[in-house]
Amino acid sequence: MIARAAKSGWLFWGALFAATWLLSTYSFQLYKALDARWIVRYPKGWEFPLEDHISAFLDWLVESAGFYFFSFRDLTRAISALIEAPYQILRNLLVEGFTSGVGDAAVQVAPALSWIAVIVTIMAIGHYARDWFLSVLVGACFLYLAVFGQWESAMVTLASVLISVPIGVVGGLFLGILAYRVSWFERMLRPVLDLMQTVPVFAYLVPILILFGFGPVAALVATVIYAMPPMVRVTIIALNSVPTEVIEAGRMAGCRNRQMMWKVLVPSAVPTLMVGVNQVIMLTLNMVIIASMIGAGGLGFDVLSSLRRLDIGGGIEAGLGIVVMAIALDRASQAFSERSARHPLEGNILQRHPWTGTVFLVIASTLVLGRFVPAVQTYPDALTITTGPFWSNTMEWINVNFFDTFEAIKTVILQWLLLPVKKFFAGIPWAWGIIATALIAWRVGGWQIGVLAALLMTFIAASGLWPKAMVTIYLCGVSVLIATLIGIPLGIWAAESPRAGRIILGVMDTLQTLPSFVYLIPVVMLFRVGDFSAMIAVILYALAPAVRYAAHGLKEVPPPLIEAGLMSGCTKRQLLWRIKLPLATPHLFLGLNQTIMLALSMLVITALVGTRDLGQEVYIALTKANAGQGIVAGLSVAFIAIITDRIINALAAGQRERLGV
Amino acid sequence: MKRVSLALSAMLAVAPALAAESSDPIKLTLHDWSGQLITTKLMGEILKEAGYNVEYVQADYIAQFAGLKTGDLHVAMEIWETTGREAMDEAFATGDVVNLGETGLQAIEEWWYPAYMKERCPGLPNWEALKDCAEEFATPETAPFGRYLGGPVTWGGFDEERVEALGLDFEVVHAGTDAALFAELEAAYQRQDPIMLWVYAPHWAPAKYDGEFVEFPPFSPECYADPSVGVNPDAAYDCGKPRGPIWKVSWAGVGDKWPGAKKAIENFNLSNADYGAMVTEVDLNGKSVEDTVAAWMADNKDTWSGWIAK
Amino acid sequence: MTTPVILDCRNVWKLYGAQADTFLNTNSSPSSADLEAANLIGAVRAVNVQIRKGEIFVIMGLSGSGKSTLVRCMSRLVESTAGEIRFEGKDLLSASEEELIQIRRKKMGMVFQQFALLPHLTVLENAAFPLDIQGVDKKTREARAQEVVELVGLKGREGYFPRELSGGQQQRVGIARSLAAEPDIWFLDEPFSALDPLIRREMQDEFLRLQNILHKTIVFITHDFDEAIRLADRIAVMKDGIIEQVATPEDLVLQPATDYVAEFTRHVSRAKVIRAASVMEPIDGDSFAGDVSHDAVIEAIADPVEASDLPHKVLEDGKPVGQISRKAVIDVLVGRR
Repeated sequence: MIARAAKSGWLFWGALFAATWLLSTYSFQLYKALDARWIVRYPKGWEFPLEDHISAFLDWLVESAGFYFFSFRDLTRAISALIEAPYQILRNLLVEGFTSGVGDAAVQVAPALSWIAVIVTIMAIGHYARDWFLSVLVGACFLYLAVFGQWESAMVTLASVLISVPIGVVGGLFLGILAYRVSWFERMLRPVLDLMQTVPVFAYLVPILILFGFGPVAALVATVIYAMPPMVRVTIIALNSVPTEVIEAGRMAGCRNRQMMWKVLVPSAVPTLMVGVNQVIMLTLNMVIIASMIGAGGLGFDVLSSLRRLDIGGGIEAGLGIVVMAIALDRASQAFSERSARHPLEGNILQRHPWTGTVFLVIASTLVLGRFVPAVQTYPDALTITTGPFWSNTMEWINVNFFDTFEAIKTVILQWLLLPVKKFFAGIPWAWGIIATALIAWRVGGWQIGVLAALLMTFIAASGLWPKAMVTIYLCGVSVLIATLIGIPLGIWAAESPRAGRIILGVMDTLQTLPSFVYLIPVVMLFRVGDFSAMIAVILYALAPAVRYAAHGLKEVPPPLIEAGLMSGCTKRQLLWRIKLPLATPHLFLGLNQTIMLALSMLVITALVGTRDLGQEVYIALTKANAGQGIVAGLSVAFIAIITDRIINALAAGQRERLGV
Repeated sequence: MKRVSLALSAMLAVAPALAAESSDPIKLTLHDWSGQLITTKLMGEILKEAGYNVEYVQADYIAQFAGLKTGDLHVAMEIWETTGREAMDEAFATGDVVNLGETGLQAIEEWWYPAYMKERCPGLPNWEALKDCAEEFATPETAPFGRYLGGPVTWGGFDEERVEALGLDFEVVHAGTDAALFAELEAAYQRQDPIMLWVYAPHWAPAKYDGEFVEFPPFSPECYADPSVGVNPDAAYDCGKPRGPIWKVSWAGVGDKWPGAKKAIENFNLSNADYGAMVTEVDLNGKSVEDTVAAWMADNKDTWSGWIAK
Repeated sequence: MTTPVILDCRNVWKLYGAQADTFLNTNSSPSSADLEAANLIGAVRAVNVQIRKGEIFVIMGLSGSGKSTLVRCMSRLVESTAGEIRFEGKDLLSASEEELIQIRRKKMGMVFQQFALLPHLTVLENAAFPLDIQGVDKKTREARAQEVVELVGLKGREGYFPRELSGGQQQRVGIARSLAAEPDIWFLDEPFSALDPLIRREMQDEFLRLQNILHKTIVFITHDFDEAIRLADRIAVMKDGIIEQVATPEDLVLQPATDYVAEFTRHVSRAKVIRAASVMEPIDGDSFAGDVSHDAVIEAIADPVEASDLPHKVLEDGKPVGQISRKAVIDVLVGRR
């Protein structure tokens, strides 16, 4: 029975691959022989002009759509104004200071918070959240920003984080609650969330700019759209995992619906909800660079403009500025999620709130002192350090000494891997591509996923994006393959040796928070513009989940099974191959899934070094301000992501079922 | 810098007269290259001297036109003839965006090579030399063809057509952004490796790296439009790229709301040399944009006070 | 027995599965086989019980027997598929949502197996929670919460959070919370199952002590037969959703109605169940070693009765109703009876 299933499985996959390969290799001859050009090129006449419809719809939305008393744009602009006001106050507080009057008549009423005051505040928060260790850590992170001369930019970034995170969290919480309560809303919301997470941000920047106006608010809105989905998902999960008995206890106490939500469910779910908050913070920081392209300024802008003038050191410093800020906010928010309610302190108001007291004292005293001693108000320029020249020199040294070696490796990989794979995918006739994808999806996940895959792939073909989609799949596929080949062994190593693990996972964290632009430019310097550079950048970015899930999966193997293996006399090697890895496969699949998702999101960014895939299409749309083109290309990327996600999830589910975990 | 501007405004009698106009901030757009930051901040600081309230807004080069049309954004200081023509024409056609004249800067875009390549291909800068030494510019991926690194596809440029029309053995590779473009130049220059790429001026790169533009047959609109014109009687694009001014552009309402400011912006005029010097200060010597602008204003007070006096 | 019935369940059914709602319309008393054929699970089947005021009514059954579902039907946490439940004479199943909220607020209290405390609230706040929900002002509700916290012996720990307490202490908070609103009927769903055996015993004593003070009407769920006979006035033994027998612990041991109940009671230490009145003999002399109560279990009176040569006099309401001798006690202890 099993043998037969395996045999038919091999037969299916073998036949599918053989058919695809044959069609890919001989599609051109086929077209010539049958004189049917539609085989290799999707006919223009069959294209569905969705792009124009979307652009037209957006034009209508912006220019004429209206409710009774106000237009749609009035509405979005009102939202803008609503967001702008607190944002401006924060900027005044952290960066610009408060002034009255305009232009030259402007008089400063109060300066911004001094750097000392901000550091003391964040340290106070660190201590409140956990302990002195955390307090010192976050303090050191912010001190880094001052010492390396990034203070002002960092505060601009902080101001936008402080606005978009609460909006993302509260918005996500409410959507999540609504989805928890109303099941049809959840069913409707789920695909929307999938799209929000997979459509590249570049794709909807233009409509957002048009609707919300130019400047920081549009960037904040884009950030919120990108960062909110995990909060919604976490909220739904958190509410669903509140123990039934607790809910019953609430009902037996006579809770009404509202009381149940706010007095029982939400408070009980707070620890899990904080995980969502943490996610929102991290994604917000991921968006810093892209947000700065449409006017958010801050550290992201520093990275961009440094790299624009090839100041690699400057780019790295600003990039690391984002990393340390991410570390500080990540650790602090994690501490809050693990923090449980504490007993209030006793005594008078100062004794009960020692930190609030200290913070106010420091703010007040630096305010006064800052008038006389400028160094108290603004970190003195003379004391800033820069490592810029070091990085630039290192880069030059590597470039001059190792370029030939890199070039040789690159040529081999290009010749034997990239080009053949590219040829294979580029050759697949679109019609067969749709059928093959549907067959794979059907075989792995059943007919529903098969139909979904066919529909989504048809959308891509009908939008005239088939060739670019194939380049996307090829680049993404090769990068994911290599990332997995490197990532899983690293993950195994990290799981087997805790010391190596700490270092490896630390490096992975940094790679993920470090804006990819920072290494994009050095990669171009070493590998030239082209697919190979794009591949390297994608691998660097998408490596982390492969490593993390492998390490996590191995660590999750139940100890009794390992003990059983040891008692049967397994060697270390057998233990790994026979017991740990098979049991870790569901986790490995999840890691693969995440790797693919990250690779797809990164492909859009690698368009900046020059690739000819959907990412480039999205980017071209952005620079031409063509909203329709951007959204269609963005949806195509999202659809590839969704198909892969469904297929891999089905694989993982099958594997989990087989293992009974 | 603040102190300098305060002192200057005290000397200027014109300020009160102009201050009668709208006190809403004039929004000037900033992009991500230093030259544009310099022209924009220069204009902004000068407007401030004239008593206007000024706000800088970060915006994308092409996407900003949507904002200029609606009046969300007011002034864009650098729209290059070479890269912005299409967008400008489209925007002017709506009547919501107007041209405020040339900045005085002349844009050049062309194939460029570092000076050390002259030894390997002695006939340069004449383009005909490229016919014989294309292989000198080859990389393993393009060999035996030479490799030409073009700008992002969105910049256009008709390089594929040019290569074809002029019979050059080059393969055109597009960079995704100009950062990638110059990253390759920097790397090749460090190694003294062959490279041929799209460079534009005014920019810091021609100042930093020793090299020259290739001299193609000069551009003419007919050369692009009519195959029979030019060295190749059967193909268009058998000439160099067009050169042209960099324009100042604004929302149509600026003239009504701040008529004085509009005049000042129209008067703004900068030479390639002054601009190049300031860009070098910022990009190569690490000076801040603000300081560079303030220094120029201190040295050229007569020039700019003339702009706002009229 | 003339004490009034507080909670009256008549022919209560709870089925799970597709078409669970309509199935009973076609077949009002399906057998196990019928249910299986229809792919339904009969969690509660044709249950008839009457809970009387002031009694401790224990529902005993193994896991999956439907006992937890039954108690949730009684409090309408689970909607019954069919049947009638009257609470204090009113039809509970037809009560509106609003009426139900009021009933739960004022008249019902419930204790849960896993304590179900709110992690973000202190002991005092947890105890005050039902009053908070009712909108009682902070001062009043905290005063009342303080009373119940002291009642369950947690004085001095009012400011602790649940995670800072042991399992037994956490359940004391759960008990305090369920008593805060002074309910008429008190549901306890396996309240001590999650506790260590020693703590469990201590909590049972505590529970009996509380009941001595409060005289609540109690529905107590357990899977532990020893616990059931220790606490119960009456026990309902449940299996596969059906109540096999409802009886006093003694009757259950002495006259099991089904093989299942007999199997259960076989290994029960009879001395813990059998009362003096069941083994007493008619009085045949006038010299006695002492007095025992007619409803005392043998285990409790074994020591003095065994130690003396003379029999003990058995009293009911102060009047002698019989005598109990050493032999009768030993017979029970060694299982001859």
